[in-house]
Amino acid sequence: MNKRLPVLLLTAPSMIILLGVFLLPMLLMFLLSFENAQESFSFENYLLFVQDPFYVEILWRTIRVSLWTVLTTLVLAFPVAMYMAQATGKMRGIITMLILAPHLISVVIRNFGWVVVLGEGGWINQMLLSLGIIDEPLRLLYNELGVVIGLTDSFIAYMVLAIATSLYAIDPSLSKAASILGASRVRTFFTVTLPLCVPGIFAGVTLVFSLSMSAFVTPALMGGTSVKVLPVIAYEQIMSTLNWPLGAALAFLLLGSTILLVSAFTKIVETKRYKEVFAS
Amino acid sequence: MEKMIDVELRNIQKKFQNNIVVHDFSLQIEKGEFISFLGPSGCGKTTTLNMIAGFLEPDEGDLLIKGKRMNGVPPYKRELGMVFQTYSLFPHMTVAENIAYGLKLRKQSKAEMQERVQRVLDLVKLPNVADRYPKQLSGGQRQRIAIARALVIEPSLLLLDEPLSNLDAKLREELRDELKRLHQEIGVTTIFVTHDQEEALSLSDRIVVLNHGSVEQIGTPTEIYHNPASEFVHTFIGKTNRLHGVVTKVEGNRMKVQTDKGFVVSALQPAKAVQEGQRVTVFIRPEKIVLSAETAPAGVNQANGQLMMTSFLGAFTECQVQAGGEILDVKVQMLEKLAGVTPGSSVLCQWHEEDVLVMPAEGDRL
Repeated sequence: MNKRLPVLLLTAPSMIILLGVFLLPMLLMFLLSFENAQESFSFENYLLFVQDPFYVEILWRTIRVSLWTVLTTLVLAFPVAMYMAQATGKMRGIITMLILAPHLISVVIRNFGWVVVLGEGGWINQMLLSLGIIDEPLRLLYNELGVVIGLTDSFIAYMVLAIATSLYAIDPSLSKAASILGASRVRTFFTVTLPLCVPGIFAGVTLVFSLSMSAFVTPALMGGTSVKVLPVIAYEQIMSTLNWPLGAALAFLLLGSTILLVSAFTKIVETKRYKEVFAS
Repeated sequence: MEKMIDVELRNIQKKFQNNIVVHDFSLQIEKGEFISFLGPSGCGKTTTLNMIAGFLEPDEGDLLIKGKRMNGVPPYKRELGMVFQTYSLFPHMTVAENIAYGLKLRKQSKAEMQERVQRVLDLVKLPNVADRYPKQLSGGQRQRIAIARALVIEPSLLLLDEPLSNLDAKLREELRDELKRLHQEIGVTTIFVTHDQEEALSLSDRIVVLNHGSVEQIGTPTEIYHNPASEFVHTFIGKTNRLHGVVTKVEGNRMKVQTDKGFVVSALQPAKAVQEGQRVTVFIRPEKIVLSAETAPAGVNQANGQLMMTSFLGAFTECQVQAGGEILDVKVQMLEKLAGVTPGSSVLCQWHEEDVLVMPAEGDRL
């Protein structure tokens, strides 16, 4: 008892703040999401996702864009992480800094940068046009591709660092052992390196997926009016339409589907063997 | 019948940037031989092993395994077995999967794999751990599995890279005996890299002593111990007392040395002949000095002194004796039986002339 008391006292301020500004509003929003236009209790708002194809498509699009972002960050981040793992300590520091440096700039500014680069008059289209590779400008913005590009840029750092951390933990003599036993480099990668950085991949995927699902700024700026995702619609309902109950329902649907997908993914990854090998 | 040469190194040289780490290394290893590369860290022993394994390429010279030139052949095509200091078992595989890894790459049938895995597990006396993960095993068990994994592919050559260094003293000795037994049982040609002279002495058919990238001596453990080719070899293999002096008399194959601190030492003429008046270094191993409580005048091969310090180590006691300005290390069995000898007492140190090693002094040391 006398050991718990100081812990309780020390954590009390943050607990009270969390309770007051986080849990309580969540609870109020949750209750609000069950209100209909007549201010009485109903499932109306949630039923939209079963009945209205517009909302079903938005949910599906949000998941689709997030999954694409996870895939592109994963593919792009892996070689970088592999390079970091075999580099010297100094080089690792430099790369980590380079990866994190863009985050010093507001995501709004960075996204506008992309708008300039990817637009119809942007240098990518201009270059491809002048080289005669394309006849008319590619649509790289205001579609799902644009959103995925923007989100990839925003979140790739998390993926790189998550994978690199798990690669650092792999004893370099393991690949020597595989090699002397007869495994080529490709074989060693797939049978030793990749299985051993599953925890890093898992952390990176979960992180990037959750962040992409709830991302607002990038889809709003780079998706335009045609590629609306759940957070954008929820924002509109609350700020423009002033339909708070529907906005709240959208937010909870987003939360629910993220939790559901992440736990399903966890279930798949955490096999008996995974727990045996990686449990600390 | 002529001896089969399994491994041959011909004038191997390796540089890192401008540092020569292995210099003109030539060696022939016979089939079934257990050979050790012994030396302090940075002597080039691990670099040489890595060149034999194929992780590094020699800058100059040829490497032949079973008569085939191996320069440029990647490790995975060399058909070798290797055991690492850090065990290097794949943590995400069970013991059986670890051992079967090499067999799988060699496209063995399931039944055959199972049988061979079980056979090597029996060989390393761990028959019941097939389904465990490496982290559920002790350090000694892990290293046994690593040895099993290396042996199961029936390699043409077994490379051991300081496999005992991460184990505590008792386990190290146990596994050392185990390695000896395995080698006798299987007879696989083995190269063992170590910085521990005891390991090298007890296991090897021959030892290669390396220092600063060069071979100091190649010989059997007894040759290395009793007839060291250089001061380095003698001082690296076990403790020794080092006295500096001048040769005063040479008579046939015997000689006398007057040391700087006043001892008179007689010795047999060394391999590198010395002349009267030449400065030499005299070595006497601590276990070759006999301690007694007698008092006798100082003379040839004996010195009076005072017992300074003792460390009881069970089977023997390490003593330090202050004698005429020198501090001699002496190893005594059963010091407790020398009545009345305690730190502070006067003692007599004696040794035989055949146990004295004389070498020309290196450099201008006074």
